[in-house]
Amino acid sequence: MIVLIYLSAIVMIISALYAVYAKDLLVSVVALGINSLIVSVLFFLMHAPDVAITEAAIGAGLSTAIFVFAIKHTERKE
Amino acid sequence: MKNTQGMVNAFFAFLLVVILGIFFFNAINQPLGNGLVLNKDNPDLSKRVSIHYILKNVHNAEDYLAQHKSSYFRNRDKVKSSNLEFGKTKNAESGSANEVTSIVVNYRGFDTLGEVTVLFISILGLGMLLHENKKKYWAKPSLIVRTGANFLFPFIVLFGVYVFVHGHLTPGGGFPGGTIIASAALLLILGLKDFKNKLTMTKIIESLAGLTFAGLGLVGLFTNGSFLTNFLPSGTMGLLVSSGITALIYIAVGIKVAAELSSGIMEMNGGGEE
Repeated sequence: MIVLIYLSAIVMIISALYAVYAKDLLVSVVALGINSLIVSVLFFLMHAPDVAITEAAIGAGLSTAIFVFAIKHTERKE
Repeated sequence: MKNTQGMVNAFFAFLLVVILGIFFFNAINQPLGNGLVLNKDNPDLSKRVSIHYILKNVHNAEDYLAQHKSSYFRNRDKVKSSNLEFGKTKNAESGSANEVTSIVVNYRGFDTLGEVTVLFISILGLGMLLHENKKKYWAKPSLIVRTGANFLFPFIVLFGVYVFVHGHLTPGGGFPGGTIIASAALLLILGLKDFKNKLTMTKIIESLAGLTFAGLGLVGLFTNGSFLTNFLPSGTMGLLVSSGITALIYIAVGIKVAAELSSGIMEMNGGGEE
């Protein structure tokens, strides 16, 4: 259990850094979606399934789509 | 003409500020009194409101407190919080098996009404700002996207409906279920070309669901004397038909959130109905 939590924390940090430093904004948005998904896994491991479902639906699903719409309205490269 | 209108507006604004100021300073000048002082060494827990929520059943809490007096914090591990049992307990105060739902919809139902109102106002602002935007930003969808959207749409909608209908039994509820249905609508917006012309009823559905929520609260006000009271019998804990109006309110919230977020995504994609 502890190993799983540490592993997901490491993946979270890597994806967050990738979202900040990526030159392509679409890649950055996908990295943010992965970050939200792993946050929801962490919520589930810490016995908060309600928050985990909400985080998976909103963080990984809808907000990613809204960022993609925003990129379509503006420019893709930073 | 315009000047007098401005003067009248300024006068009413000034009057509003004066009235609010009177309320504010009146509240400050009230004598404070001593309030409820709790003894930290030997607390009298029967004076706290929170103990009723910890025990979840207000009717039996008095007997419990009479037995255990002030030894609650010292013998915390030995005390069972309540004697609720899944599938057997009948007519509990809040009959929902999911404790988060019983807090969010039953004990703090008025907060949820405010939360739904905040979501409604934000989607309203989104529609006002983006409704004129009618450009198309998407290329023609590929075969995989079209087939996948057509195939997956009913299953995603079914899962969303399951999540908010079982909101009082399992984790989940109105907000996640509505969001899942809205993501199904997003999939169809991406996959089908003229889907947004078919999505015309969202505003009406959303208004009806919001009216259902407020109307259930008003029925509680007229029958039991307080807004959003659980006026239906709570039934056996753990069955689908249980917990009174909690299940009905979560169904209304789920439909409302689904319609709101679908129309919001449609506006963001570019343009509403033409």
